[in-house]
Amino acid sequence: MLIVGAGASGAVAAKRLAEEGFDVVCLEQGGWPDYNKARAPYPDYELTSGRDWAWDPNARGAPADYPVDDSESDITALMWNGVGGGTVVFAAHWQRNMPSDFRVRSLDGIADDWPFTYEDLEPYYVRAERDWGVSGLAGDTAFPGGDGPPMAPVPLGRMGRRVAKAHNDLGWHWWPGPNAIATQKYGRLNPCTQRATCLWGCSEGAKASVDRTYWPVAVERGVTLVTGARVKRLQLGSNGLVTGALYVDRDGKEHVQRAAVTILACNGIGTPRLLLVSATETHPAGLGNSSGLVGKRLMMHPFGTVVGLFDEDLDSWQGAWGQHIHSLEFYETDHARGFVRGAKWGLQPTGGPLSMTHSYPWGEENAIWGPGFHQQLRKRLGRSAMWGIIAEDLPEESNRVVLDATKTDDSGIPAARIQYRMSENSRRLMAFHQARAKESLEAAGAYETVIAPFIRATGWHLLGTAMMGADPSRSVVDPWGRVHDVPNLYIFDGSTWPTSAGMNPTATIAAVALRGVDHLIAERRDARTSS
Amino acid sequence: MSAALARFDPGRRAALAAVADLLIPIGDGMPAASEAGVAGRWLDEVLQLRPDFGPPLAAVLDRLIGVDPKAALDLLRADDPAGFGVLAEVVAGGYFLNPKVRSAIRYPGQQSVPIASEVPPDYEQDGLIASVKARGPIYRPTPRPTP
Repeated sequence: MLIVGAGASGAVAAKRLAEEGFDVVCLEQGGWPDYNKARAPYPDYELTSGRDWAWDPNARGAPADYPVDDSESDITALMWNGVGGGTVVFAAHWQRNMPSDFRVRSLDGIADDWPFTYEDLEPYYVRAERDWGVSGLAGDTAFPGGDGPPMAPVPLGRMGRRVAKAHNDLGWHWWPGPNAIATQKYGRLNPCTQRATCLWGCSEGAKASVDRTYWPVAVERGVTLVTGARVKRLQLGSNGLVTGALYVDRDGKEHVQRAAVTILACNGIGTPRLLLVSATETHPAGLGNSSGLVGKRLMMHPFGTVVGLFDEDLDSWQGAWGQHIHSLEFYETDHARGFVRGAKWGLQPTGGPLSMTHSYPWGEENAIWGPGFHQQLRKRLGRSAMWGIIAEDLPEESNRVVLDATKTDDSGIPAARIQYRMSENSRRLMAFHQARAKESLEAAGAYETVIAPFIRATGWHLLGTAMMGADPSRSVVDPWGRVHDVPNLYIFDGSTWPTSAGMNPTATIAAVALRGVDHLIAERRDARTSS
Repeated sequence: MSAALARFDPGRRAALAAVADLLIPIGDGMPAASEAGVAGRWLDEVLQLRPDFGPPLAAVLDRLIGVDPKAALDLLRADDPAGFGVLAEVVAGGYFLNPKVRSAIRYPGQQSVPIASEVPPDYEQDGLIASVKARGPIYRPTPRPTP
């Protein structure tokens, strides 16, 4: 078995396959994260976090990164190319999708239903939450009942309690935040110490990034994880099956890794890029692309932030970051609002003093510089809280990943180019949610609120570019992640999502990968292989 | 002295001090940026931590030498937001490295605060979550397939 990519879905697949005794090789273009650079305990933390834990591969320019031309996109793509993938720098908000997310065509008359339901996926959510080490509270009224995460949630904190009480007064939903953050010793994870540095390398080993959780176990169970291995193309045999991958190591030397089954786990940009560069005479538009949908329907979740300023000291540079509480009050479609679908809100800390000076989320119109500097700093530091808003965006074929005609990475592989425009539905949705989030914070006692300006650098979630479905003419992979056109090629990352939901996607990426790999294992004896 | 630091001669440091005090002036019992050392010791520290700031900062400061700092700063903000961003990050970054400043704003850094386990948790003890539960489910269930 060959897995390309050592992020969330690759880790889930590798560990599970190793448990079942398969020989597994994973090719990962990056290396292991260096947590010596996680500087949370030191005074230079805020200054150095942007140097060592930047999210934009174009800005980071690390050896493992490939260029992503975003000049035709309203949002820039963020990712971490290395062992752990995006989980190394994710905020660890662990959100299951809601039942309606799997049935948007049936319920809202838009886009496409998923080929399975919430109930189909629920057992895999439960398993994934135990495997990862998730904290949260069962019984959330925004979801069907059932087992919850294995650990108690992170504390609400003063800010969470304030906003929770306000939502009670408003009659709005809130619930203790589900996070892939350990609140007690859990396997290889240490308990969170609330340094609020989750997005810039967890120095405590409390955040359940898969480099800390899955990969050490997978390697112990015999998985060969090859770092610094950049796949140039997948190789196709005369029988129409993938025989493996051609990859280049850090010294520029080419290698061939053969495999009976290949699994792509490269995120919503890396996976279509690899399929497109692997075009052959028999697959001239790219491997697995007879539907013409490879790279299309890119969804990246427009993101909004609303900050509230409070008289009370909330210690708001501390806590899990992470989310203290979440709200799904306005998640479901209400056509009277003038748009369809909705968004999830997560209540978060606002950072240390240097963060108080930045133009995001505070806005240029609220620039801190000059005579009011010290007064503004005192208003913001420790006395602010913010809602992060994840907006569902709908699939559109014009939003897509293509190969760049001229640029390449340092291995000579064509760069990715993203073409993405926010829809009118997304704009209306975001404006509505920002207004409601402002009301939420005002009800919680905020004497001033700031709606953060729109910025492009929010494309954490890369989804939809190799859609799953039962119809090979309208999808790239089947409901189990198998590429319709190439039966020993699988895709387990977020590329396969028919719609984006309005949730942080890692929980569902993990659950869908687990469901897919379980099916692959069960069917393996009957599967056609190239061996 | 490193090449990065050698780039910042007294002329550039003076320009930095002048413009830094416009960004972070004295007031409210707090020192101005230059008094806190953002063009001296803390500039050295910032550049050691972030050598990538060196070239763009030098380019920005060269625009500020020998001109009215306020007018130059206004122009910089208008026509070179990226350059202004580096300048602001260096000034504020250095300011907040100064332990006296951190103490004055009562910021101890990102501290280790172990999670205290309360059983049951506070929101159960005081009934905060009770009204959410009492309201019941808010999700739309999976529609049943049409026969």
